[in-house]
Amino acid sequence: MTDASVTDERQIIDVGEFYELVTVHLESAFGRRHPRWVRGEVSKVYEKTHLYLDLVDAGSSESDAKRPVLNAHCWASQWNALKRRITSDGVSLRPGAVVNLFGFVDVYAPSGRLGFTVLDVDVAGLLGDVTRRRLELIGRLRDEGLLDANRSRPLSPVPLRVGLVASRQTEGFSDFTGQLLRSAFSFEIILANTSVQGEAAPALLEAAIKRLDQEELDVICVVRGGGSRGDLACFDDERVARAIAGARTPVFTGIGHTGDESVADLVAHTRAITPTKLGEDLVSMVHEWRRRHVTLPARTINDAAVSLLDEASVFLGERRRTMIFAVRDRLRAEARHLAAVREHLSIGARHVLERATQWLESSRLLVVAYDPQRRLAQGWSIVTTMDGAVVRRVADVRRGDTVAVRVVDGVLQATITSDERTEL
Amino acid sequence: MTVGGWNEAAEELNAIVASFDDGEVSVDDLIVKLARATEIIEALDARLVATRATVDELAPRIARVATDDE
Repeated sequence: MTDASVTDERQIIDVGEFYELVTVHLESAFGRRHPRWVRGEVSKVYEKTHLYLDLVDAGSSESDAKRPVLNAHCWASQWNALKRRITSDGVSLRPGAVVNLFGFVDVYAPSGRLGFTVLDVDVAGLLGDVTRRRLELIGRLRDEGLLDANRSRPLSPVPLRVGLVASRQTEGFSDFTGQLLRSAFSFEIILANTSVQGEAAPALLEAAIKRLDQEELDVICVVRGGGSRGDLACFDDERVARAIAGARTPVFTGIGHTGDESVADLVAHTRAITPTKLGEDLVSMVHEWRRRHVTLPARTINDAAVSLLDEASVFLGERRRTMIFAVRDRLRAEARHLAAVREHLSIGARHVLERATQWLESSRLLVVAYDPQRRLAQGWSIVTTMDGAVVRRVADVRRGDTVAVRVVDGVLQATITSDERTEL
Repeated sequence: MTVGGWNEAAEELNAIVASFDDGEVSVDDLIVKLARATEIIEALDARLVATRATVDELAPRIARVATDDE
């Protein structure tokens, strides 16, 4: 048996078939249908539409040329969703980060490379150490009674003098100050411009808080816009937390975006979820104070003044009408009384007149009855002397005297020729 | 005869009205009391008019403060 015959008996496959064979075997154990979790430290990251990263064993030395490397990639169709989730967790895939990748093996024949297609990323491992340190710090602060120390500081009901710890160039600064400046309240902002991320930030933040605490301020606001958990790490720093807890001025925080809660937030007097919200809260406090102590009293005074005037007007109007009616009634009563008296008098007078008239008529009739003319007509005559004296008795004349005898239709003259007295 | 403070004057006015209601007022008293009541009403009305004028001047200024929140 020659070497050639031996060679002929071997199953010889070409390169392409080799890779197909390898792919089949790998896929049967680690392929798409058998994805696995792989833990490693990110050594390189490159993102351009898709994500490419090299993973090595955590803690391995970069100088070790023989350390195993896993060339992982995450296609854009998967990466976009994963990236959103990772970002929301406040984590980024950076060199040095330890991460668990879920995926499957693939073989890229043209370069002869074994790759790893990523389907999912677990960042719990990344967060673990940070979380532990953070919890330890919170525990220490709690034991020392510092979690509520700043919260017990008395807060001005009208916090208009505001110390601001922020970076002037950041959106957080603009968002916060924008709320105050647009409010129309006369906020006075004393800025301690400082870096709000990076390794130097904790010391700078601590110094800024302490410096502002020396001023006569109503409140100190620590402001920083949203960012990754790493960007916001300075607000989990013990120096910053102790500066806030020890401040005699109430310290408000507006750090990151919704969901972030730093240790600085925990020890602060008041925490807002964003710089914008913190600005709104300050404005609301002043607004509420103004509403309670200016607006509502003004409204009450206005309403009371109008009400009091209306009440006084009604009172006067009623009294005026009552007076008019009372006087009118009284005068009518008097008029009725006078009318009754007048009527009574009138009736009485009429009776008097009637009686007088009757008396007069009786008198008249009596007078008529004694009318001499009537007596003369009946045959009686009146004898008078020539000088007009009535002759009543025989003795009133003497024989020879001439007398006038008045009869009904004239006067006769007669001479007394005899006299004879008769006994009465 | 002077007119006292609002409450004092109002009480005096009430007393006059009450005496009218009782019907015990003579015609002579009626004139005296009516004259006094008229004097009080005119004085109070003058005060009311003056006060309302002041309130009318101040109310819009207060209202501006009172409605700032709306």
